[in-house]
Amino acid sequence: MDILREDLLLTGTKESCGAGDCGACTILVDGESRLSCLMLAAQMQGRDVTTIEGLAEGENLHAVQEAFVQHGAIQCGFCIPGMVLAAVDFLNRNPNPTRTEIREGLAGNLCRCTGYQKIVDAVEAAAARIRQEARL
Amino acid sequence: MGNQDHQIGPVNIHKFPPAYNETLSVGISLVRVDAHEKVTGKTVYAADYYGKNMLWAGVKRAGIPHARMKAIHTDRAGRVPGVFCILTHKNVAGTNRQGVIRKDQPVLVDDKVRHCGDAVALVLAETKTALRESIDLISLDLEPLPSVINPEHALEQGSPLVHEDNADGNVLLKGDLKIGAGSIAEQECDVIMEACFETQRQEHAYLETEAGWARMEEDGKLVIVCSTQTPFRDRMEVAEALDQEPSRVRIIAPYSGGAFGGKDGVTVQSLLGLAALNSGGRPVKMWWDREESFLSGTKRHPARMYYRLGARADGSLHFLSVRLYFDTGPYDHLGGVVLTLALEHAGGPYRIPNAVLKGWAVYTNNPVSGAFRGFGVPQVTAAMEQMMDMLADKLGMDPLELRFKNAVRRGDRNCVGKTLDASTGLMDCLEALSKHSLWEEREAWKCAAGPFKRRGVGMAAVMQASGYGPVVPDVANAKVELTTDGKVRVYCGVVDMGQGNASTNLQIAGSILGQEAGQMEIVLPDTDLTLPSGSASASRCTYTFANALIGAAETLKQRVLQRAADMFMVRDIEELTLFPGGVKHLVSGRELSLGALARFLNDSERVATYRFRAPVAKDSVTSDDGLKLHGLPHRLFSYGAHLAFVEIDELTGKIDVKRYLAVSDCGKVMNPQIYEQQIHGGISNGLGYALSEDFKVHEAKVHTPDFTTYVLPTAADMPDMDSVAVEIYEPTGPFGLKGVGEIATNGPLPAVANAVSDASGVRLLRFPLTPERVLKAIRDQEG
Amino acid sequence: MREVFLPTTLEELWSILDKEPEAAIYAGGTDLLVKLRSTQIKPPCLVCLERIDSLRGVRDDTEEVWIGAATTHSRILEHPVISQRFPVLAKGISVLGSPPIRHMGTIGGNIVTASPAGDTLPALYVLSAKVEIRSKDQSRRVKLADFILGPGSVDLRRYEILTGVWLQKSPEWGIQHYEKIGLRKSQACAVASMAVVMETSNAGNIERAKLAWGSVGPTVVTSREVEEALVGQSLSQRTLKSVSHLLEKAVSPIDDVRASAEYRRLVAAALVQRLVRYRDFRDPALDRAQPC
Repeated sequence: MDILREDLLLTGTKESCGAGDCGACTILVDGESRLSCLMLAAQMQGRDVTTIEGLAEGENLHAVQEAFVQHGAIQCGFCIPGMVLAAVDFLNRNPNPTRTEIREGLAGNLCRCTGYQKIVDAVEAAAARIRQEARL
Repeated sequence: MGNQDHQIGPVNIHKFPPAYNETLSVGISLVRVDAHEKVTGKTVYAADYYGKNMLWAGVKRAGIPHARMKAIHTDRAGRVPGVFCILTHKNVAGTNRQGVIRKDQPVLVDDKVRHCGDAVALVLAETKTALRESIDLISLDLEPLPSVINPEHALEQGSPLVHEDNADGNVLLKGDLKIGAGSIAEQECDVIMEACFETQRQEHAYLETEAGWARMEEDGKLVIVCSTQTPFRDRMEVAEALDQEPSRVRIIAPYSGGAFGGKDGVTVQSLLGLAALNSGGRPVKMWWDREESFLSGTKRHPARMYYRLGARADGSLHFLSVRLYFDTGPYDHLGGVVLTLALEHAGGPYRIPNAVLKGWAVYTNNPVSGAFRGFGVPQVTAAMEQMMDMLADKLGMDPLELRFKNAVRRGDRNCVGKTLDASTGLMDCLEALSKHSLWEEREAWKCAAGPFKRRGVGMAAVMQASGYGPVVPDVANAKVELTTDGKVRVYCGVVDMGQGNASTNLQIAGSILGQEAGQMEIVLPDTDLTLPSGSASASRCTYTFANALIGAAETLKQRVLQRAADMFMVRDIEELTLFPGGVKHLVSGRELSLGALARFLNDSERVATYRFRAPVAKDSVTSDDGLKLHGLPHRLFSYGAHLAFVEIDELTGKIDVKRYLAVSDCGKVMNPQIYEQQIHGGISNGLGYALSEDFKVHEAKVHTPDFTTYVLPTAADMPDMDSVAVEIYEPTGPFGLKGVGEIATNGPLPAVANAVSDASGVRLLRFPLTPERVLKAIRDQEG
Repeated sequence: MREVFLPTTLEELWSILDKEPEAAIYAGGTDLLVKLRSTQIKPPCLVCLERIDSLRGVRDDTEEVWIGAATTHSRILEHPVISQRFPVLAKGISVLGSPPIRHMGTIGGNIVTASPAGDTLPALYVLSAKVEIRSKDQSRRVKLADFILGPGSVDLRRYEILTGVWLQKSPEWGIQHYEKIGLRKSQACAVASMAVVMETSNAGNIERAKLAWGSVGPTVVTSREVEEALVGQSLSQRTLKSVSHLLEKAVSPIDDVRASAEYRRLVAAALVQRLVRYRDFRDPALDRAQPC
């Protein structure tokens, strides 16, 4: 994570506990959500790494990002980069989840502000939109 | 260490994203202005500041709870390669004392260590590794002293003293209130309930820990960027502690990654200032890791509360006696204010004609207690709302019926004797709850419990005062500018720590000035640019600042219309209207863009400021000046009624909250999405407090140092929550609004405890309600 | 700056270990890197196993199933033979840590860390798992119960690594159950846990059973007395309650910041009663885990 934040100046990925307990540092490595605080730089070699800065395509937000914005899932925002990427991976694995499954899928990402409800609403909505766009 | 230099200034402006151009109206759920930048990782928090040539600053903590400071040895530590310098209290030029009411906390310890997390030395180093190595090598000569760890013992004669120079021993503040006839009234009661409650320490656990960055500018100004709730107060504290001229200190408060009261008061600010004064002009950064935040940051006051509640046979409350012992740790840190608010709320939102309310905020060598969402009210609500259910049970009354019978209405005197002259919507909340489908279906829901499960439903009535009380001015100063580009720029005086006031402020200003999101800009709190507006706390941010902002926006509006009228040679400004981007003369159809208009104005005319001071209680409930200073009484209260649906597992004692309902009276709703965000967040803090969060301290040492041992609720643990707003108009509030930031935190613990009692017949008086406590209580009851 | 090696073959690994015998070895890093941060350990260098293909994967070998030690928990859950044949293990893994932890942590890591609260361990014990240990020139297969020596301690000698876990597909177990008690529903260190595999007759009598408990002793606790007391009895509430006293003697829990020994003793016995849910319908799908 230090490489991301201090050398590459990608401060979107957040440190909050440094010990794998909070999920704030979640990034995607080869599409899978992982905790960057528990990865050494050497492990990133040859891998496809996505941080929050790389999720949107130009001005077009990812469906998960757009849903978070619209549904009021963001308050202080510090957990959000990790939460969004965890949700993106989760929906890739489970495109039609129940609310309970969403809660379990995001259980590795702590949030102190929202009580999670609007985050779950957002992921549910994003899932629906992604499924619909896939049908088109 | 990074190759970008942080530009401080001229101004850090936030706007809505370009595609977003909604009309700004009050009362609708507008998307927040900060949502887009936060969801794309663009927001720069205090913890995200780095820079060329930057030094890391870190603190050596005492490690033992109480000791006389003999010597600090830094030679070995200073020789670690990469260490720039090591500072102690000797390097602090000013008073070396900080605090809001009582200034009793050193920047760096000089005389005594008073808790394990006390800051003893400050190291500046090139890398985090060198910093850590150096800190580990600092050795301290400490003469241990007996620790003060139990508040009730701390009050006894002969107890060791945390502050020898404190006239009142280990008492930071005490309160003694007699209402009505006092204790004589106890004899008139038909039934008396008595219990002793113990609530635990709670940790704020904001995702962004205490963090900041500082630099001495070339012109001699000390600039500090930090995650804080109180930039203006910080400026005064830093100046005083370090002997700087306040005008030569600039505090900048970007979006904070959560605060909840834990950043109400100095955390890193003076340490950063000291570092920057000694870094040879290099920028410095301090970022507490999670363990340091746990050790050194403030906590919710643990409390022991003795309650005696007496009523008549018909259920009308007649007498209340409470003794509250709040463990405030070694420093003031608003502990007296917390105790005072607890006393004020000790009897809950009820008419109780007679009471004896006593409380002590006691110094100990335990971790520092301070402000935390609810601020003393969650503790007493935990007690009082359970007393109410216990009383209802004794009287054979339905718990809701007992609340209805005693709930305050406008014009009543509350339990400290304050006449409630502001909007008082508790009855409306209770009625809304009683008509809600969840209430109506509760019995059927309970009966559907599966094998090994017991279900219960419990309620709590809550209230929360806003503001600072009758003495300390609750003031905000708003500033709005029409820029030469024709944009409306709001200078926000109160920190946005996630509660979204940056957005509500734009909503208000935009609504008054008839502008769309695309025309609006916001400047976050900055002591050089925005105006003093008090702390982001006490549920007063929107109430007070928005009132000031309305004034400033209206002033600017008038000025703009008048100038446009002059330019159009129209006498009656009522013929003119603002529209997005311009001013229009309705009669002739002529238009003028705001940009063009702005360029005709002198700089001084483009800015409007307005000061608002919140009205305070005119009636007094005590002659104790200390209590008045600390906030007694408040004038304005928000109210609520909560309902918890709980399922207990008989085999493990685990509690699962299945549903939660919060009905709230926080005045009119300015932005329903933001309102709900506050209610949801408050409930989740309250449910953590109820079920799993226990910041354990034993012999003044922390036993839950991190997130593996301190258990926060995850998404899988939280229920779906229903929030209902009972919108009673508060005449003194901006657009009829009252504070919503804290009140929802007060309900969950007692509602869940009452539900557990409903489910199992067991009444728990110590918290949190861990599976172990619940199972043991159930087994004890059966065996 | 510590050096980090990422070998891609076992041969590379052996030659690294030859030169750096004190190297700390990890695969997912979810235990080791935490210890590194808190300076609990200070190894001269690190070796990461995540790129060695021969240590990863789930292989269905007809009679037995092999799981590579460096296979992540989420990959294990994705393989159908695990959720179909060994749902008790699938359940244990599905409540381990959190989703991102499961994408990184490995079964080998969970075993070698040998925490008394390890989430894969009770299931592996009741499945009579064997572990495969290799060094440059040798390999051996050991019962897991013999491999774990104590809390945090395993029978791994210098230059050896754990390379795989072997599970036998027979005997089959119709009832497979796992329950974990934590202070919250996810990312929780188990306060107590129980894995059970059981086979009952059509009449509802227990024909054979294996039970194992986590977090109630220095290592996973099993009890022959409890198992023998259950065999031949009907799967009823009375039977399950009747073994409580045997179990309370078998466990040796401690007090810690999460729970007291007394509570752990009580719930270890209480959890057994949950098995009554299998009395009328044998439905392992009740506890089937989802891949994550």
